[in-house]
Amino acid sequence: MTAVENRPAPVLSTTPVEWVRERLFPNVASSIVTLLLLPVLIYVGYRAVLFVAVNGRWEVVTRNLTLFMQGTFPRDEQWRIVAQIMCMAFALGVGASTAASAAADRAREAGLPVARQQPLEVVRRFWPLIAFVLVLLYFASTVTPWLVVLGTLALFLLGTAARFLTASFRNVGWLLMALSVIAGFQVVSGTTGRSWVAAAVVVLIALWTSVGLEGLDRLPRLAARVGLSVLAAAIVFGVYTLIPLSGVGWDRWSGLHLTLWVSALAIVLSFPLGLLLALARRSTLPALRMLSTGYIELIRGVPLITLLFMGQYILGFMLPAGSNPSSITRAIAAITLFTAAYVAEIVRGGLQSLPYGQTEAAQALGLPPAKSMRLIILPQALRAVIPAMVGQFISLFKDTSLLYILAINEFLGVRSLVHAQPDFRSVAHAETLVFVAFGYWAFAYAMSRESQRLERRLRVGI
Amino acid sequence: MTSQQSDSRVRPPFWRDARVLRVVGQVIAVVVVFLLLRWLFANLVDNSRRTGISLDFGFLNRPTQFQIPNHDEFDPRSPVWQMVLVGVKNTLLASVFGVILAAVVGLVVGIARLSKNWLAAKLAAAYVEFFRNIPPLVIIVFFAFAVFLYGPLPNLRESIEIGFPGTDHNVFVLSLEQWGMPSLADAGNLAAFGLFLAFGLVIAVLVWRWRTRVNDQTGAPHHRVLWALGVLAVLLLVGYVVLGEPFRITWPTLGENRRRLVDGFAINAGFISVAGALGLYTASHVAEIVRGSILAISTGQSEAANALALNGFQRYRFVILPQALRIALPPLINQCLNLVKNTSLAAAVGYSEITNLTQASIGNGRPAVPSIVILMGVYLSFSLIISFMLNVVNRRMQLAT
Amino acid sequence: MSNESSTQAYADATRAKGDALIEVSGVDKYFGDFQALKDININVGIREVVVVIGPSGSGKSTLIRCINRLEKHDRGTIVVDGIALSEDIRNIQEVRRETGMVFQQFNLFPHLTVIENITLAPREVRRLPKREAESLAMEMLERVKIPEQAHKYPGQLSGGQQQRVAIARSLAMKPKVMLFDEPTSALDPEMIKEVLDVMVELAEGGMTMIVVTHEMGFARAVADRVVFMSDGQIVEVGTPEHFFTDPREDRTKLFLSQIL
Repeated sequence: MTAVENRPAPVLSTTPVEWVRERLFPNVASSIVTLLLLPVLIYVGYRAVLFVAVNGRWEVVTRNLTLFMQGTFPRDEQWRIVAQIMCMAFALGVGASTAASAAADRAREAGLPVARQQPLEVVRRFWPLIAFVLVLLYFASTVTPWLVVLGTLALFLLGTAARFLTASFRNVGWLLMALSVIAGFQVVSGTTGRSWVAAAVVVLIALWTSVGLEGLDRLPRLAARVGLSVLAAAIVFGVYTLIPLSGVGWDRWSGLHLTLWVSALAIVLSFPLGLLLALARRSTLPALRMLSTGYIELIRGVPLITLLFMGQYILGFMLPAGSNPSSITRAIAAITLFTAAYVAEIVRGGLQSLPYGQTEAAQALGLPPAKSMRLIILPQALRAVIPAMVGQFISLFKDTSLLYILAINEFLGVRSLVHAQPDFRSVAHAETLVFVAFGYWAFAYAMSRESQRLERRLRVGI
Repeated sequence: MTSQQSDSRVRPPFWRDARVLRVVGQVIAVVVVFLLLRWLFANLVDNSRRTGISLDFGFLNRPTQFQIPNHDEFDPRSPVWQMVLVGVKNTLLASVFGVILAAVVGLVVGIARLSKNWLAAKLAAAYVEFFRNIPPLVIIVFFAFAVFLYGPLPNLRESIEIGFPGTDHNVFVLSLEQWGMPSLADAGNLAAFGLFLAFGLVIAVLVWRWRTRVNDQTGAPHHRVLWALGVLAVLLLVGYVVLGEPFRITWPTLGENRRRLVDGFAINAGFISVAGALGLYTASHVAEIVRGSILAISTGQSEAANALALNGFQRYRFVILPQALRIALPPLINQCLNLVKNTSLAAAVGYSEITNLTQASIGNGRPAVPSIVILMGVYLSFSLIISFMLNVVNRRMQLAT
Repeated sequence: MSNESSTQAYADATRAKGDALIEVSGVDKYFGDFQALKDININVGIREVVVVIGPSGSGKSTLIRCINRLEKHDRGTIVVDGIALSEDIRNIQEVRRETGMVFQQFNLFPHLTVIENITLAPREVRRLPKREAESLAMEMLERVKIPEQAHKYPGQLSGGQQQRVAIARSLAMKPKVMLFDEPTSALDPEMIKEVLDVMVELAEGGMTMIVVTHEMGFARAVADRVVFMSDGQIVEVGTPEHFFTDPREDRTKLFLSQIL
């Protein structure tokens, strides 16, 4: 039998007319739908374009752009926020490139293809955020925003130089990122007070993971850990007392700046709490399980606003007389406690989805339960629930808008300041709302696209 | 080889005994939580004694002393617990309408997103990606302020009235505070007409079952929906004529201040803001759930249906949708719960549901701690009821194994 | 055979060759009301290869999972290398260090590379420094004949390769006894041989092994003793020759007729 030759496949292309016929008018029902939707779409689109380009009184945004961005932050301290943005850009650059090169190394060793990020790809990935920044620049009336954007880009690119670090120095990259984040936070809030504790914890974790303590027995290892902790605390405390920097505490932050920071802090704080709650809920000890379940079900049954009210009105009663945490501290505490319950449920789902054989294999190898949790179970469970987690954090970001009800001037609430001005008392409400909605939408949509992308990759991957 | 010889009857030292460690672990956890709660509670009692603000629920029986906006029939002298009931009623009202709106719009958008019509699919996708990524509070505020209070109206005129062509009556009225629509009013025999309606429904159900039986026996298409509705319509018409105009239509008319309606069916701006905004917002989540549940049905099901020569409509009705419903019901009920919880956002726009009223009452001097406890209790009850419904539904819908 | 000699033969069969490494006496195990193990008595000696066969639900997996405390026995004693299994967590950890287990579903850690899978326990439990652990891992990979897969992820390997990595992972802890729970049941037929070859090599190298399997060829080739379990009891124990050619009990004969 003679083998059949391979012939090129028949080329099927659709002309524009065919495309319209197939996609818009394939059958009677569909054609009716198209004919109904098209005029509506055109009309709405026409009105929208009129609103945005012609009728809209956008000077309300132009004249109040600083209010929207940073609220009532003292104007003469604005340099702090700019410095913070720079530090964060640098941290992002370092973090992203360190993670990417670590992943590339592992992939290369395993013989898997290494994905390269083209700059055009990055633009496509984050177009909502880029659009928002461009809109901000459009509304800018001074040259400062342009300089800030350029500076941000420059520092981000500087940070990506971290990809040249070799594998043995990768911990330097992580440490650098951590330090930049801390510096960014401190440059605004100042080095007074107890903020050195958080910095000490971060430096501590960095030291613990980078100094090689293997091969040591239990007691010398414990001693080394304690020694490193004391060292880290001493260094950080020393640095902080030597560089006394006054700052603007977060009680005085507002606008988009406050929204972003409240979201970030609540995310970071709720994650470990949620993790503990999830482990407690799955524990074999009934007391832990009941306490954890009770907390989770209670929190999930009430709206966030009631917890914010609790923080506002009741928290003051529950703490010793004299301590009076600021509104924003209370709000962050309430949002953290709220989110932790949802994070706990998500993590619990991840833990349940892991095959029990993994736990057994770890046990059979003689790994004690704590180690098996840390090295085997949690890495897999958490990886599996990343999309759900990101969804929860997007919700958290949107929920910061509730602070408006507590008369805290975050991004949505700052509108009341804008419209308190005599010029804008009863006009341009729609314009400010559209601007605020667009800001939220840009961040949330970008995050949700990232999560969908991650979901696709995780499903295809190993 | 005799390293640790131990008879299993001899108990190992307690710090290595697995059973002892379990008990000790639990005891420690309970003690820590107990101490924490006790400290918090002690501070609470202490501070309340110091500031003279009470912790008990006695305030519920005392007069409210403030007026609930838009509720002219509420007497400020009535006890606080009646105000609470008003709040709960409003919460339920907004939730029910919000859920209905979300279900209808969400279903349409979800199915549109799967349609082959490019325009419908893209518009549906845009709807979902738009509403899902904006905080619901922003949408509510937009309705309340940009549409109603400071919206197109002050620029145009005091109110918009859309008249019925050829008559003096209005079909639709939009004022600064309310929407108005036609309504039914009793012109003598509304109750009797109601009986006719009930009777008609019973007959319609019987007609439905008769047509189903005909279809079973002879295979002829049953057209039972048309038959049942037709019979109902005929009976209602008969009733209308026989009873001699048992009701009349009231047209929406604005009162003197051009803000509130004196006739017709009035819906308050606050209510529309909350129910409408939340309905549209939740619809975007419902659409995603609907889409996800239909996509989750494996293609093998569609293939089997096609192989059996079922047409598209039959495939959806008998194979895809029943299975999709089973998958979709738990997350849909969850969204229902979320909508109920989101009605609490009305605190920002003056719709007097329970959270708004609680905030107002605390502002008017009522004790904060018990008020908030009641508030949380209300929502917890809703959530428990809905969770219970969810469990019942889940159990009924389990596929037999 | 007369009653006395059969009891004697049974006693000879239950007494181990060489010094006993594992002593199981009077063990019962319940799952709720269901009794999965009924009065199990068996000793396994050093360098002995014991193959456990039986129908599903006979308790063979439960037995070996009791030996490394993945299941808790309810009555009786289990002593592994002189360490008695009880509620003492230090004992449990020691027994788990000295026993290696190979699972039917491999249970490799998918988020770690092959070499990380193998070096994990030696580094974390036996506290070996990284370099020593890695050279030990490479040595084990050579033994199972797949050193070139060291930096791949388990998902990139075939079933047979994954199971061999699982064997190497257990061997890296230098256990005194290896437990195999139906190691080839989840493999495609063409990959069963490569895993069985590794197990045969292990046996010939002097490792003490307890193997639950349906592979009769393996039993015939390397087993020192074959144990037949049914309904939670040990029905018959014997050498492969006697077992396959002249089984004593009726239940054994019935089972063998169904599978051979």
